[in-house]
Amino acid sequence: MPRIAVILPDLLQGAGMTAILERYFSPAEVACFTRVQEVTAEGGNGGYDLYFTDSDTFASHVDFFLPRRNQSVVLVGGEREPELRGGETPRVIATGCGLENLLEKIERVLTPMRPADEGSTSDELSAREVQVLQLVVSGAINKEIAERLNISLNTVLTHRKNITAKLGIKTISGLTLYALMHGYIPADEMPL
Amino acid sequence: MPLSTALELHPTLIPLVSRFGIRLGLGEKSVAAVCAEHHMEPGFLLTLMNTYLFEEYFPEQKLKSFHVSQLVDYLDKTNAYYLHQQLPNIERHLGSLIASGGGENKNLALIGRFFARFKESLTASIEYDTREWFPYCLALSRGEAQPTLAVTPPPLQTDNEDEDPAVSLLRDLRSIMVRHLGGEYNDNLAYAVIFALDSIEHDIRQHNRIRNRILTPVIHALCHA
Repeated sequence: MPRIAVILPDLLQGAGMTAILERYFSPAEVACFTRVQEVTAEGGNGGYDLYFTDSDTFASHVDFFLPRRNQSVVLVGGEREPELRGGETPRVIATGCGLENLLEKIERVLTPMRPADEGSTSDELSAREVQVLQLVVSGAINKEIAERLNISLNTVLTHRKNITAKLGIKTISGLTLYALMHGYIPADEMPL
Repeated sequence: MPLSTALELHPTLIPLVSRFGIRLGLGEKSVAAVCAEHHMEPGFLLTLMNTYLFEEYFPEQKLKSFHVSQLVDYLDKTNAYYLHQQLPNIERHLGSLIASGGGENKNLALIGRFFARFKESLTASIEYDTREWFPYCLALSRGEAQPTLAVTPPPLQTDNEDEDPAVSLLRDLRSIMVRHLGGEYNDNLAYAVIFALDSIEHDIRQHNRIRNRILTPVIHALCHA
């Protein structure tokens, strides 16, 4: 899920852009700011995948945006994007082109950020992930899982993260239900 | 504006107002008139309606300006709505869904067991609210309870409703049905269960916002007053 920061000094513009992103490009994590300083105050160098801003904000905070120019999208008024010259320039989207065109332009920016759809097999658990799942739902803690499977703690954590991502299930109870439904654990041994 | 107009535009508000005994057949009565009939403050009902309807809208200061007894009354009524309306409603749909598998689809029975466990845990937390937490809040707001009593206010939380176990379980159940349900079942009944799960999940998220971000901080402040 892409993490997007909308940095627009006008509250209404920011709320509008945020609403468009949340409504038409879900799932996406969208945070709205009126100032660049609010992003940097969050810490972590503002770890967003994309930054939507306006030309004034971009120009007055080049120190912030230039290292992130490949992740920055500058919104400008009018129907057409101005021709930018020079080397590495940020992407520019003209917002006065009607909703349909605007959505298409945003889609072109977001598409490369979405994981490719590799078909139904991508959601299947590997044999190792099934072993981790069986141990998780039996109540084993990460350290025990690492010892039993002779793998590192970090590898256990990676497997658990992948299991949740593939199945869309976060809780132990939910994972237990999934494991029961797929016969990974016997139904009579495991309470939900 | 008549309350009926708002409910026509946003039918999801009907179960919210019904918690206060407001029933259909409202005619052209204004919000103020309906509230007067039900001994409610119109500002409180309107704030709840807006908060319930718009997830991005949360008037924290305004909600904190209402009396603890109003907040507790709303949360208590919402708990009762879960116990007596939403949970039985999901159970009814789920029972029909399980029956639609003709006993052949074991996955449906497992989903039924999962929901039964969820219901048990939600019921237990509601019973704690009714027996301990809400009476404590009310007593404290009246200046009767001492902060040293057995009840400990839950810790102050940030805006992270995803951490709520009930919401996480409901999301997982919905996800399991949408992504992983197999075998024979009645499609329409499965949709009905999913819509009902989505409805109670949305409701619990709204409930938690008021509980965690309004009531709990107010009680903490009273404890340290």
